[in-house]
Amino acid sequence: MTGEEQGRLLERLLKGEPQAFRELVDTYQGAMRAVAYAIVGSRNADEVVQDAWLAVVRNLGGFQQRSSLKTWLLTITANAAKTRYKQNRREVLLDDLPAPHGSIGDERFATDGHWLLAPSAWHEDSPEALLSQDELRECLEHTLLSLSELQSSVLVLRERQGLELEQICNLLDISLSNVRVLLHRARLKVFATLEHFEETGQC
Amino acid sequence: MLTCKELVARSSDFIDEQLNLGERLMVRQHLLFCRNCRRFIKQMQLARATVRAMPQVPEPGSEALAERLARERQGANKP
Repeated sequence: MTGEEQGRLLERLLKGEPQAFRELVDTYQGAMRAVAYAIVGSRNADEVVQDAWLAVVRNLGGFQQRSSLKTWLLTITANAAKTRYKQNRREVLLDDLPAPHGSIGDERFATDGHWLLAPSAWHEDSPEALLSQDELRECLEHTLLSLSELQSSVLVLRERQGLELEQICNLLDISLSNVRVLLHRARLKVFATLEHFEETGQC
Repeated sequence: MLTCKELVARSSDFIDEQLNLGERLMVRQHLLFCRNCRRFIKQMQLARATVRAMPQVPEPGSEALAERLARERQGANKP
């Protein structure tokens, strides 16, 4: 969204136009949920997102446009999550849960560090071609659901929402090295899923 | 010279530009000579683009929520 588009949307929001709020919710709620999910987990994410929306409406008049609307919304969401769960803030769990098709692990390499089982060439070379196969899409969704809440959120915020690593650190209050580890592990699982599907034609 | 295993371990940092100059050069040098790792990086990028392109799940109840937020905002606008 350009600064100009954002300014126009903001004007309509301030007037209380329902359609403007519809656009806001449809555009940003996914990212807000990912932030809430990372901090408080799936069970409480929805109520945090609700809290955040109410805070957004209350504070809309004070939004100065020094940051992008998206950054502002995500910061409010992170704050709502942290306020609600200040007492029982979870520790950063770097747990690596098993994924349906595994990862690219040590077993793929020889003791000298060369590939033992090198990646095969995939048949498709565009996301559209890959996703046109319903079964592959479902398979990928299955893998994403197998990720830990934090790993999944970091992947969503980086790959789907296009946030910088530093922004993710700040929102989720986790170190850069942890973000890098979480992201890398999640990507390897996605890679392994696509590779498995391309090799076997099934999930 | 990096091994393939070391390259894979650094692949996300390479993609996200988190490596320092020396490490970046080592990765580039390895990629110059290693077809398997070039394929790995290329397909890793394709995997990322695929995650990005996955259809967004429609937000449940977004219409009702938007109505509610708009009403709240209109209420706040009243003197």
